[in-house]
Amino acid sequence: MNLSFKGGIHPLRELHEGKGKTSSLPIQDLVPEKVCIPVDMHIGAPSAPCVKKGDLVKMGQVIATPVGGIGIPVHASVSGEVISVGPRQMLGKAASTCIEIANDGKDEWAELYPLGSAESAPVDKIVQQVKDAGICGLGGACFPSHIKMMIPDGKSVDTIILNGAECETFLTADHRLMLEEPDRILKGLRVIMRAMNVFFGVVAIENNKPDAIKTMKEAAQGMEGVRVAVLKTKYPQGGEKQLIDAVTKRQVPSGGLPIDAKVVVFNVGTAAAIADAVIEGKPLISRITTVTGAVNTPCNLRIRIGTSFQAAIDAAGGCAEEPGKIFAGGSMTGLCISSTEVSLTKANNGIVVLNQKDAVKQQATPCIRCGRCIDACPSRLNPQYLNVLNEQADLVGMKKHNVMDCTVCGSCSYRCPAKIELSASFKEAKEKITARRV
Amino acid sequence: MKLRLSTGPHLLDRENTQTLMLDVLIALVPTTAAGIYLFGTKAAWVLAVAVVSAILCEYLFQKLTKRPVRVMDLSAVVTGLILGLNLPAEAPLWMPAIGSAIAIILVKELFGGIGHNFMNPALLARGVLLASWPARMSVYYIPARVLGVTEVVPAGTDVISAATPLIRPGGYQLYDLLLGNIPGTIGEVCKIAILIGFLYMLFVGTIKWHIPVLFVGTVAAMTWIMGGDPLRAVLSGGLLFGAVFMATDYVTNPMLKVGQVIFAIGCGILVGVIRMTKAYPEGVTYAILLMNILTPLIDRWTSRRVYGMVKKHA
Repeated sequence: MNLSFKGGIHPLRELHEGKGKTSSLPIQDLVPEKVCIPVDMHIGAPSAPCVKKGDLVKMGQVIATPVGGIGIPVHASVSGEVISVGPRQMLGKAASTCIEIANDGKDEWAELYPLGSAESAPVDKIVQQVKDAGICGLGGACFPSHIKMMIPDGKSVDTIILNGAECETFLTADHRLMLEEPDRILKGLRVIMRAMNVFFGVVAIENNKPDAIKTMKEAAQGMEGVRVAVLKTKYPQGGEKQLIDAVTKRQVPSGGLPIDAKVVVFNVGTAAAIADAVIEGKPLISRITTVTGAVNTPCNLRIRIGTSFQAAIDAAGGCAEEPGKIFAGGSMTGLCISSTEVSLTKANNGIVVLNQKDAVKQQATPCIRCGRCIDACPSRLNPQYLNVLNEQADLVGMKKHNVMDCTVCGSCSYRCPAKIELSASFKEAKEKITARRV
Repeated sequence: MKLRLSTGPHLLDRENTQTLMLDVLIALVPTTAAGIYLFGTKAAWVLAVAVVSAILCEYLFQKLTKRPVRVMDLSAVVTGLILGLNLPAEAPLWMPAIGSAIAIILVKELFGGIGHNFMNPALLARGVLLASWPARMSVYYIPARVLGVTEVVPAGTDVISAATPLIRPGGYQLYDLLLGNIPGTIGEVCKIAILIGFLYMLFVGTIKWHIPVLFVGTVAAMTWIMGGDPLRAVLSGGLLFGAVFMATDYVTNPMLKVGQVIFAIGCGILVGVIRMTKAYPEGVTYAILLMNILTPLIDRWTSRRVYGMVKKHA
């Protein structure tokens, strides 16, 4: 029996979740001519730039220093000259401060300070090293990893889960990483387990990636406390709460954090980055991203942080058709971009180009109470009734009916035969409830 | 380059209201075909008038009231066809026409159109016809033709009104009940055809098994407790047709699974009670309609556990 959770959907089943085009393609390196790196990629206060126009920087050199409690530094992802420091429109609503660097093509590393092997690195220095390497959650949330590695007083953790579910449609970045570099992932897991003094580590993978399951199982053989868990292919299996439910049969309390279920979850890519930081001293300057959809040659790229969407799309042979919509991430929760000049950040696991036809908005029709949204909701809410309340602009009622537990996974909207934008309206309602303190 | 911006999901399931309704229509094909085969061209006329007038009523009402015309969602076709299948083959053709008008205008559109009716339109229309013209609605005729080999129906007879199996239990062979060689409405007699439709809807995911199975199961259980023959009770009258095609109407049954269980068992108990007290020869129509009315209350009083409603571990 493959592990799973209640609710959920199987999106784009007839298209192999949209992953067929890229799942068998090896990771290629993409080295851009220039990068434009935002200083606010992570959750927390934006970092403060510490370089100015004209400075020469080396790869891995700190170019912005952390501000506030959960901040992390930002590093140069290429070596070369700083062309500009200033505001640019990125994926967020407001403009971000960005540092633009022209690549001199030398890929000269700044001085690196490795801590030692996964089993010998001094435990008390690991968390600081992870912070200094600018590592945040590569699954898309970009929450600074060193914060997750510090267990608050009064809490305890018995299991680390590495998230290799990759349940989002179209994405094959984690899949390829698990196939090509399983040892980096497992070394990262061991580093995390040692730093947090946890004895159980689980790599959780959906059963639509049998090759990755086999590779990871072989690589994990004989490793103390480490095992591979096979998950049912179901969206949002990689959602933190669903993943914890599937692997440990525990639920994260409403309004709580995974640590309240004695679990901390890291993406497999994050674990690999942590291994690099500790064992080689290398900060986070690149990541794997899948470029697919209506492009000529879909591919999995190892991009430098700050590469433009345009450069990545060009590396995929350019758009195959006039694009109608381009989003960062998979088709369930991906963020739309308005211009291909924005940069790929630490959060970007994929770029999907839709043609004009697929980008057309589907007109909503009246709800027929079919109940598909209710079956789909992994948070076990009643989206049908929440939609009724939403039409009445009843924020109090929505809050009472647990809209704050909505993870905006999009499962209800995906299944709705009336094409009602359920999850998008719940997202808006959640924002209003938070802003107005309903 | 103009890129569209929106919140995800960016690609949606292929299923829409129209494809769902189309699946119901496909599931009704065996029943419709069996009805026309058994009762002849008269049945075909009743069905045609019911469907066409349902479409016309919806189109004209939406045009006249300047609402978006939604005839293409096929829900009016489903309503019309189900109403037609609920009528005797010998019904005069004004009856399906009036029935469809009641179903579409009175029950569906006046309450806000698709998704807003609080009772099943076809069923309430049947109820109104039953109350208005009881004589015409409750005289059933023996099918003009038979499926398989049977001794009961005299071959070559044109029209003979007869007692339904509910009034004359034990008067028919089991396989006649199953195949439809019994008096009844156009759609309710051939149980095999209804079961094929049920399996189709289960297979493609149009409906779930809970409501039909629990509804029919409750009637069978009640009959058995009262000393009757549960199999005959299930195969008689409109129970199977009602449980598969009418109690499962999305709009008029509860949203949560627990509510649907209450709904189905409630329908079953009501049918059992009505049949036992012999208040009416047929309780299915009124049982479902009564439970339709209770649906908002059931929805209000049922809930399920939201993810994360647990104690904190640490």
